[in-house]
Amino acid sequence: MREEAHRFGRARHLVGIAGVPGAARGETGVIVLNAGLVHRIGPFRLHVELTRQINAAGYPTLRFDLSTLGDSAATGGGQTRTQQVCADLDDAMNLLKARAGCEKFILVGLCSGAQNAHIVAATDPRVAGAVFLDGYAYPTLGHKLRHYLPRIADPGRWARFLRRRPSGTAATESAPTPEPVFAVAAAPREEVIADFNGMVERGTKLYFVYSGGISDQFNHERQFRECFGKVMSHPAVTTRYLAETDHTYILTGDRARLLDGIGGWLTRNFPPAAAGRHA
Amino acid sequence: MRSDAEIPFFFGPGGDLFGMFHATAQPARQAVLMCPPLGQDLIRCHRVYRQLAQSLAASGVAVLRFDYHGTGDSAGDSAEVDWDRCVADTLVAAAELRSRAGVERPVAFGARLGGSIALSASAKTRFAEVIAWDPVTDGAAYVAVLDTMQASLREDANRFIRPRTHADVAAQWLGFDVGDRLREQLARLRIGIVQVPTLWIDSQQALQDRQRVAAISPPVPWNDMRKVETAILSPALIHAVSGRLKETAYA
Repeated sequence: MREEAHRFGRARHLVGIAGVPGAARGETGVIVLNAGLVHRIGPFRLHVELTRQINAAGYPTLRFDLSTLGDSAATGGGQTRTQQVCADLDDAMNLLKARAGCEKFILVGLCSGAQNAHIVAATDPRVAGAVFLDGYAYPTLGHKLRHYLPRIADPGRWARFLRRRPSGTAATESAPTPEPVFAVAAAPREEVIADFNGMVERGTKLYFVYSGGISDQFNHERQFRECFGKVMSHPAVTTRYLAETDHTYILTGDRARLLDGIGGWLTRNFPPAAAGRHA
Repeated sequence: MRSDAEIPFFFGPGGDLFGMFHATAQPARQAVLMCPPLGQDLIRCHRVYRQLAQSLAASGVAVLRFDYHGTGDSAGDSAEVDWDRCVADTLVAAAELRSRAGVERPVAFGARLGGSIALSASAKTRFAEVIAWDPVTDGAAYVAVLDTMQASLREDANRFIRPRTHADVAAQWLGFDVGDRLREQLARLRIGIVQVPTLWIDSQQALQDRQRVAAISPPVPWNDMRKVETAILSPALIHAVSGRLKETAYA
């Protein structure tokens, strides 16, 4: 396997690293999108570890910076962000096709990266699969019950609340809220569900991995079905809830388990010998 | 800004070091080697390094940004990061910059451990100057800070819904595996008197015993756990370094 540094795109404004295994051309390629504002190496170098592990399994990869992120520039083309993301991914797919002969692609994104992967997976027929890490999520009744019931039933919590009440300073006594690292602005849920249905009807394979790091939005394996309905039971959909991990996989053991999970999903759904031949 | 004047490439004896060369429109009047910090500081500083590189290139100063072995886009695992290799990679990167920019004695710049690496490398190569931004001068104290931050991560309720085990957080610093060798190397690190001309850029009021200190504000929250994934942005830093490169005609 070799890694190649590229400046590419319709305005030569994008920067990325292609990992090209030595095997034959014509395989399915894997493209990893930025997570939030972190440049293409990913949070704690997650995207480097992921692409290299996938390369070792025989898949070409590209980790790159979308327009205006990391080392990539703006095109100045007056496009909406959605148009820009689609055009950037078109450039990325063209690059991986030119370098490794890829015709079909798997998109991988964390948080805003999942949102961007969703946009393209919903519209581009070259996308054969997508891995959504902490993508769209909607608090449900089940989420609220799982969130609030244990707190209501916790005598210690009541005691702390009552002790704080007279001063009325509970908010100022508590630790400062950390600044949000990433945030995904939710699209309408019905729209998102319709997109998922469209994806699986076209044969797109989907892998959802959600973490305990977004427990304010999502807090149980059951919530996949609560949020998105019966499409989550479709054979093309695989879900995994990792309650113990944080949003960006800061612990190396958590990261290794995530990568093993993605690698396993990839080889089950896109066996290297048959990669590139999926409808 | 001409984006095609920023050239990503791999270099070094094995072609496994990642670099980003910021070319100048005219022959470069000076060149700056930007040595990144290590660990999470590298990610947090990516944007300000790029902003500084673009500012310098626009003023006729060629710049090379690069990643050491085991960091960023360069080859190698995070657990393989080694101090001596970082210094050696800096020498390789300096040679690459000399060749590309046509400048014999570049300036080296680095934040935190990147400044410490640049100062260590200056004993083995000819830099016109080192500009060190809040460099780590006492490695043992730095190791203690990282250990404390890593220990606090185990019970970070803003991150985990329940505390993690000691084994879960062992042998890592803020998202990255750390080997025993690097830990020992950093614990021994001590930046004393340096022979190379050095501009110390100090946001922490921690370098007052040094000569030629440029104080900037506000203080950079390098060790604030709540901001461990927040980018470091510092217009004051860019102003200070750009100003220094404008005012100086290096021999």
